[in-house]
Amino acid sequence: VHPAAWLVWATCAGLVTFTTTNPLYLATIVAVAWFVYASKRIPGETARSFRVFAIAGLLTMAVRTALVFFGTVDAGSVAFAALEGARLATLLIVFGTFNAVTDPFGVVRLAPRRFHEPALAAALALSIAPRTVAMVGQVREAQRVRGLNRSGWRSLASLAMPVLENGMEHALTLAESMDARGHGRGARTRYRPARWTVGAATTAISATIAAGVFLIAAWTGSGDLHPSTFPLEVPQVSPLLIGAIGLLAVPGSISRPRAGAAT
Amino acid sequence: MLMPTRRLRTLAFGLILVAPTLGPATSGLTRACAASASGAPHAALVVDTGSQTLSYCVELDGESVSGIHLIQLAGAQFGLQYRLGFGGAAVCQLEDVGVDGSDCFGAYPDFWGYWHGNGSGGWSWAGSGAASASIGDGGMDAWTWGQGDSGATHPAPPALAFDDVCDISSPPPTPGPGGGSGSGGSNPPGGGGNTGPGGGGGAPGAINASTGTTGSTGNAAAEGTPQGSQTGSPRSDRSGGPDRDRDVDPLSPSPTASDDSVAALAAGVADDPDGGPPWAVMFALIAIAAFGAGGWFMRRRSDGIKGG
Repeated sequence: VHPAAWLVWATCAGLVTFTTTNPLYLATIVAVAWFVYASKRIPGETARSFRVFAIAGLLTMAVRTALVFFGTVDAGSVAFAALEGARLATLLIVFGTFNAVTDPFGVVRLAPRRFHEPALAAALALSIAPRTVAMVGQVREAQRVRGLNRSGWRSLASLAMPVLENGMEHALTLAESMDARGHGRGARTRYRPARWTVGAATTAISATIAAGVFLIAAWTGSGDLHPSTFPLEVPQVSPLLIGAIGLLAVPGSISRPRAGAAT
Repeated sequence: MLMPTRRLRTLAFGLILVAPTLGPATSGLTRACAASASGAPHAALVVDTGSQTLSYCVELDGESVSGIHLIQLAGAQFGLQYRLGFGGAAVCQLEDVGVDGSDCFGAYPDFWGYWHGNGSGGWSWAGSGAASASIGDGGMDAWTWGQGDSGATHPAPPALAFDDVCDISSPPPTPGPGGGSGSGGSNPPGGGGNTGPGGGGGAPGAINASTGTTGSTGNAAAEGTPQGSQTGSPRSDRSGGPDRDRDVDPLSPSPTASDDSVAALAAGVADDPDGGPPWAVMFALIAIAAFGAGGWFMRRRSDGIKGG
C-alpha cells in the first residue's frame, strides 16, 4: 500500500479518535488498529512500535486517571478522566500502527521538491521512536550474545550509552548519504517509485469516509460521542458509526502482496 | 498504469453512489437522538451569584452537552445572561455578576466556581473544565460566585435536588419576591425557607447542613446577606410558568419548526429514548471481538508464512 494512503489512513483514524470519548468506539478503533497492524506490519524491528505505543498509551491513561485523585474524587470525575486518557491512548495506538505498517522515509519521497526539507525533518521526528525501539532491541541482542544478560533498572545505564551513540552515528550516516545523492541540488531521480494502486485508493477513500461520518456526527452532536459522566451513564452507540470505524479495517483485509508483485 | 486508473475511477464512482445514502443516514440518526421526542433529556443548572440563586430546568439538544453549552441553552430557553471568555471555554459573567471583559479571572480572587451535583442535593467541585465536561439527562451543574480555589473553601451551591429544579409533579413554587433584580431582600433571613415551597427543599439551615464540609462558609454567606430565602427560588421569576410547560411540551423554544416535524418522523424510528438501539452495543462488542480475533488470526498466519 502506498505510503500516502497510510498517511491518509492514520490522519483519518486520528480524527475519528479525536471526536469521541465513548469507550465502545475507542475500543473498536483499538481492535481495528490491532487487526490492521497484525495483517500489514512490516516484518522487522519497527513492528515492535505497536506494542511500545500500546504500553505508552496504557501508561498515559493511568497517569491521566491518577491525576483525578489530587482533586475531587467521585465516580463521574474518575470516569471522565479515564475516558480522556483512553482517547489519548487510542491516538497513540493509531500512531503506533502507522509506524509499524509504513516506512517513514517512504512518506518523505511524496513531498513536493520544495517541501522536501521540512518533510524530511518531520519524517526523522516521526521515526525517532520506532528507530530507538529497534536500536534497543539490537543493543540488547548484542549484549546477550556477549553473555551480558542484565535486567531491570541496572541494565538501563548499560543500554543508554550504546543507543545514544548509535543514534548519533545513524544521523551522520544519513546526512552523508543524502549529501552523496545530491540532496538539495535539484535533480533527483526516483528509484522504484511507489505505485498508487486500487488497494491504496480504497484504503484512503474508506478512511476518509469514516472520518467524514464522525465529523458529521460530532458537528450534529449525535451518536453519543461523549457519553454523559454527570450523571454517569452506560454509553450508547450508533451502529452506523461502528460501521464507519469498520471502514478503517479495509487496509487490513486487502490481500497480502505476493513476493515480487508491486504493492 | 492504465488499468489501475480505470479501476480507480469505477471505485470512485461506486463510492460517489454510496455517499449520498450515508448522508441522510447520519442526519436521520441525529434527529432521532435529538428528538427522542416525548422524553427529551433535561439537566438542571443552578446559578448562585451570592445574592440570589437561580435554577433552570434546561432541555438538552443532544444526549449530552458540555457545561458551557448548558449555559448557552439556558440563555436561549430562559434568557440567562452570560458572557464567556478564553475562547468560549470559561465563564466570565452570569446574570451580570462577574467580569466584563474576556479575562474571566480579572476579578480574582472572586470567580465563578463550577460544581457537579449528585442529583439529591450534594455538590462536588468540578475537576475539569466546563467546556469538556459532559452533562446528560438528569445531570446537575452549578456555578457559584465567590472566593476559594477548592470545593472546601468556595461557597457551595444550595442543596437542591434534581427534582427540586426539574419536577413536573410538584406544585409550582410561589413566585420569588423582587424578580431577577431583587435579591429576596424583602424576606427576613431564615424566614424565607419556611414560606418556600415544599419542592424548594426546606429551611436554609438544613441546606447548609447537608452540604457537609462547606457548611461553615455556606452559613457565613447565607447570613451575611439576607438571602436566607434562596429556597424561595427566584427560579420562578423567569421559569415558574414556562418551565413547567417546557417539561411537557416538546415544541419549546429553540428548535426550528422543521426540526419538530422531523422529530415526529424520527420518533417512529427510534422509540428508545436513550439514543441508539439497545442491540447496537451488542453489535459494537461483536465488532470489537471480531477485529481482535481477526488480528490474532492474521498474526498467526503471517508467522506461519515467515516460518515456512
